[in-house]
Amino acid sequence: MTETLTLPDGFADLAPFAAVWGKLESQEERYLQRQHCTMKQLKAFYDATAPRLNAIFDHLDRFPMDGLPEPEALLYRTALGLTEAAMAVEVFGQPCVPYAPFPHKMAIKWSEYLP
Amino acid sequence: MTDLSEHMTKARDLGLENGRVPVEYYTSPEYFRREQDMIFRRAWLMVGRVDEVPEPGDYIVREVPPLKANVIIARGKDGEVRAFHNACSHRGVALVCQDKGNALTFRCPYHAWTYRIDGSLSAIPGEQDFPHVDKATSGLAPVHLDTWAGFIFLNFAEEPEATLTEFLAGLDVLLDGAPFGDFPFCVRVTDEIDCNWKNLVNAFNEGYHVAILHNKTLRAAVVPKDNPHLHYLDVKQFGPHSAGTVPRNFDYDPQAPALTWVYAQMLPTSAPDLEAIKQGRAGFYEHPGINRLKIPNFGTETITIFPNISIQPLANGYLFYQFWPISAGRMRTEVRIYSRHAPRTLREEYAMASTLAATRDVVVEDMAMSRLQQIGFESGGKTYQQFGQNEPLLRMFTRDYEAYLAGGGMTPFPVQAAAAE
Repeated sequence: MTETLTLPDGFADLAPFAAVWGKLESQEERYLQRQHCTMKQLKAFYDATAPRLNAIFDHLDRFPMDGLPEPEALLYRTALGLTEAAMAVEVFGQPCVPYAPFPHKMAIKWSEYLP
Repeated sequence: MTDLSEHMTKARDLGLENGRVPVEYYTSPEYFRREQDMIFRRAWLMVGRVDEVPEPGDYIVREVPPLKANVIIARGKDGEVRAFHNACSHRGVALVCQDKGNALTFRCPYHAWTYRIDGSLSAIPGEQDFPHVDKATSGLAPVHLDTWAGFIFLNFAEEPEATLTEFLAGLDVLLDGAPFGDFPFCVRVTDEIDCNWKNLVNAFNEGYHVAILHNKTLRAAVVPKDNPHLHYLDVKQFGPHSAGTVPRNFDYDPQAPALTWVYAQMLPTSAPDLEAIKQGRAGFYEHPGINRLKIPNFGTETITIFPNISIQPLANGYLFYQFWPISAGRMRTEVRIYSRHAPRTLREEYAMASTLAATRDVVVEDMAMSRLQQIGFESGGKTYQQFGQNEPLLRMFTRDYEAYLAGGGMTPFPVQAAAAE
């Protein structure tokens, strides 16, 4: 990928998280990333993004769903990382599903398109 | 409020005395070979939905792991959906290499033998060198295909012993008209793991483990105070297939901020759509074959189609699980989360991704436990596993599994339907 890590105005402080989560393209990659993070890392990411979901999507709502400019696309990909981090923080209290093999890969396919 | 305990069907209510089941069924390669021949080559196997091939020329390719079968399912110009082994009549090449598409013809990449979408052989390059090949009888090898409620079933027997309707043994009647077609959009999750496929079948056939194994994921949402071991209610048998009613907690109110935010964007498939239920447009909840007891905190009907399918209809869609054996000690799970439509906004897409992660993690818990179970089985210290009175569907599955291995299983059982309460 050639794009630089430029987030939209007002979200520049998420850059350290965008560097990790924003480069991931699929839920499979996000699931693996979650498993390879420490709880401290996941909690920091969660604390920085979960309270701002409304702000993030209020901003993203101003753009067409399938035509996000690159800074917005980066912000969105970063936010999608929270779908995995939140499971670790809010549900399990640990990065991995208990008793599951590590690292655990799982293939995920959305019909018709890749989010 | 009715006393639900009378609907907590026990194994003894169904005449199922088989509380001890040999571990060998779950570890022995010999049993796996018998399963291949006596179950997977005889039963009708569900492999997809007709709406995966909506237009003439649309095709999908599906694997059937226990048989190593690779099957093209294609809708012809005449609108009919057919299935063929993915193998060229010339020298056997699996000629369709994409997992789905739309085609006028299938052309083998090796020597360009070409087939019509109905499987018939249309062209042999240098045909003069194949005078012994009768084109009319040298099409792709067909596989028996039939459909019910939009689901595609295949049968790999030369001649099926039963029609699909006979095979479904009344389950099709119970669910006649159920609105599976209203939920065409799906996300598929697949995983392979080291355990016997029946470990997963069993996991989906009892609620006993839910409060323990799924303590952090499901318990608060689905285990009610008056049913702490999540007994399935109103267990129904149809030949080797079954259905049981599962409650949930309608007052479940997640407090976790990210999860709560997701609920506000779009209800996950697994949550009841209270507004829709009130308005009488709650999908499966309105169907007479589902929640026959009319329990007010209805969660899902867990529907098991022998040998390897579990379907859970919900207010906003349905969950579909399939468990394929690869060998005695390895299996593939496919989970499909069906909903009304593809995400229309980024908020909905995020909500679906979040729901997907949550649903997947519940299945990961089940698969993790099934793997540990296999380690225990193969360790060799135990000859039997035990199925309780509260695990009637495990005993029922085992009874029908044994019947199939013995060459029967296809004829309806006398206890069916009457066993409801």
